Amino acid sequence: MAFWRALALCCCLCGLLAPVRAELLELRQAHVSTLQDGAVLERETRLPYNWDRQHQWRSGWAEFEIPLRFDQPPIEPYAVYFSRVGNRAEIWLNGVLLSRFGDLTRPNHEDYAKAPQYVLIPAQLLQRENQFRVIVHADGGRRGGLSTVLVGPEVEVRAHYHAVYRWLVNGSIAVSVFSLVVGVIALLLWATQVEHVPGVPRPRRDMLYLSAGVAEVCWMLRLSDTALTDPPLAWPWWGVLQTLAYAGWFCGSALFCHYVAGWQRHASMRWVRAMVWALLLTSAPAAWLALSRNDDIYLTGWYGFATFLFIGYAAVYFWGSVRKPTTEHVLVATAGVFNVLVGFRDWVVIRASNNFGEISWMRYSSVLFGLALGYIVIMRFREASAQARDLMDNMAAKVQEKEQALAASYHQLEQLAREQERTAERTRILRDMHDGVGSHISAAIRQLQSGKASDEDLLQTLRDSLDQLKLSIDAMNLPPGDVTTLLANLRYRLEPRFKASDIELAWDVDLLPPLASLDSKAMRQLQFMVFEALSNVLQHAQASRLSIELRACPEGGARLRVVDNGRGFDPQRVQRKGLASLRERAAAIGVGLDVSSAPGQTVVEIRLA
Amino acid sequence: MQVWRVLVVEDDPAMREFFVASVSRCAGLQLVGSVGSVAEARAWLDDDDHMVDVLLTDLGLPDGSGLEVIRHATRLHPRCEPLVISLFGDEDNVLASIEAGALGYIHKDSAPDDIAQTILEMKDGASPISPMIARKVLAKYTSSRRAAEPVPERPAPARPTGEGPLLSPREQEVLTLIARGFSYAEIARLQSVSVHTVQTHIKNLYSKLSVHSKNEAVFEASRLGLLQSRV
Repeated sequence: MAFWRALALCCCLCGLLAPVRAELLELRQAHVSTLQDGAVLERETRLPYNWDRQHQWRSGWAEFEIPLRFDQPPIEPYAVYFSRVGNRAEIWLNGVLLSRFGDLTRPNHEDYAKAPQYVLIPAQLLQRENQFRVIVHADGGRRGGLSTVLVGPEVEVRAHYHAVYRWLVNGSIAVSVFSLVVGVIALLLWATQVEHVPGVPRPRRDMLYLSAGVAEVCWMLRLSDTALTDPPLAWPWWGVLQTLAYAGWFCGSALFCHYVAGWQRHASMRWVRAMVWALLLTSAPAAWLALSRNDDIYLTGWYGFATFLFIGYAAVYFWGSVRKPTTEHVLVATAGVFNVLVGFRDWVVIRASNNFGEISWMRYSSVLFGLALGYIVIMRFREASAQARDLMDNMAAKVQEKEQALAASYHQLEQLAREQERTAERTRILRDMHDGVGSHISAAIRQLQSGKASDEDLLQTLRDSLDQLKLSIDAMNLPPGDVTTLLANLRYRLEPRFKASDIELAWDVDLLPPLASLDSKAMRQLQFMVFEALSNVLQHAQASRLSIELRACPEGGARLRVVDNGRGFDPQRVQRKGLASLRERAAAIGVGLDVSSAPGQTVVEIRLA
Repeated sequence: MQVWRVLVVEDDPAMREFFVASVSRCAGLQLVGSVGSVAEARAWLDDDDHMVDVLLTDLGLPDGSGLEVIRHATRLHPRCEPLVISLFGDEDNVLASIEAGALGYIHKDSAPDDIAQTILEMKDGASPISPMIARKVLAKYTSSRRAAEPVPERPAPARPTGEGPLLSPREQEVLTLIARGFSYAEIARLQSVSVHTVQTHIKNLYSKLSVHSKNEAVFEASRLGLLQSRV
């Protein structure tokens, strides 16, 4: 698309520049007198007059006398057109100054030869015999001199002037603005699109953007010259800078092409770099040599060298694009080949042969590179955002996957914990049944089988069994560590027995905060211990008074005492089953146990942490 | 001498026979019926000719819960005082019975005389309560209430017991002492009141809990929009 547009543009350009209208008179014959290095020379010449060619690229003065003859002097307004005059010039007609382009006494600054010039001829000035006098001052190597002179009706001349001006000056300005925009965007992309590679301290930037940016900015500098009549640098430095900018453009373009093809890791990259640096570094010296030594051969040679290098490179590059075609590669290869061809044409027409009025076409063909770069940036951006979207989708999916896995493992863990809890609970209940109701029922069976036990004994055993069952159910509801409730509940459960035994009960139980050291298992063991101690008193002590005390200890924990005034026993000598079980349970839950007994005072003391 | 009419609901025939015998043996009690299921109990209670003062019911019946029988009896016979037969007297069952309207409970392993005695004592105003249940009631009706009161969820509808806390300070004291294991007699001594007063507190408490639980249900229902309030 861009290619065809550029081609169409070139065609229009050629069509406009080449033919000269039939109504216009083209003056080619002139008498010239030149002044160079103090020597005056006079001769007849044919226009165009290429100063540099005639005077070995050295500065000087020239005065052209150009006759113009009419059979009938025109009545309508006339104008005169120069496609090239300068570098500075005065235009005289029949002894009247028509126009002055620049200050003739100030060399190496203004340059009016870059753009076409148009001068209106005042009415009645034209006669049968007329003479133009054009005084020119040319700088060495600045393409000064005088083109053919076009004279004709003002309307036609002006139309011709505008057409050329539009394409040459406005076109150059438009292309240089375009180059500036593309170049700035490319440089911004290079500065902002930073890729942080893990393990590499310096962030990586895309050199493709840098090379394109440098190329386009250089090209903008080069093209803006057409519109600058009075450049900021004096000649020949301005000329050196222009050459450098030109070199910057095609060197940047070459690197850009190489990056687009993805050849930056290729062995050829070394050679391309070497070529680029060689051209860039030799450009300024070549220009300097040509302009200071007044010999264009250096610059023409350098341009020729660059042109042939790029013809070779373009051929290789194009071959690469044919072998492995990608849209980007083919696009850039086409633009490159086209530009190289145009460059070759420019070199042949402007540098190698004597075509004074010609301008370079490359200023227009270069737009192709800008468009290619724009296309590439857009495509890469699309690709990057698609990748980012993919990445996000991927990540979301991964996060969801992980969440599910986490939920599953949490669920599993929970189940495991519940299973463990259930197992522990089952173990506790089994143990409880074994120690409590189970042992009592088996005792009852033995009592029945032996036939020796009285009904009263048997009933007692069965009652114990049911009490144990109730206590074990109560233990499930006992808040862990709440010893007060434990004792209160025990008293409530044993109330019928206390009533039956005629023992006076002294209840001296404080309201204690829950003890952290007692879990539900320890509570059940403690319940067993107190039950055992109370059973002993009720069954064996023959006491009349029983005291149950619970006190908080000042140092923390609590002290539980069961005191009776019965007949007592010797704790060392009497190894009663109940006492042994009491000790076992105390050891199991890590509470202190003291049993002291004497006739009239038996104390079972349990110290809770 | 007043004779209390007793209905026994118990599915185990031997157990039922035991309770029937215990009641029949007592001069102050008159057995008016003995049935073995919720349906039979309902049918018996629905008969207008039947009058009952004391309902003695098991909780685990073949066709339902004894709680249904209690609710049915208190609705049809407001003067009937239900007692629950419980093997273990465990707090979950007992508390549910109290909230359904029971005024006490009897252990299955009680001596025959004790059973009759418990019935007579209840009619005389005594209701037993275990320390575990006292503790549970305290926890349920004081701390939660205290915690909920400063930040009412919404102004309307008003709480059914809007007159004040459910438990009076005296009742709370009594419950606290029971939870600590003191007997009624000891509590009476500590509070300088008669044992009968202590018993009355407990019995009032039973009724309060039952009424409260009914109101609470209505309140919850209207709060959830299940009942249409008719003004």
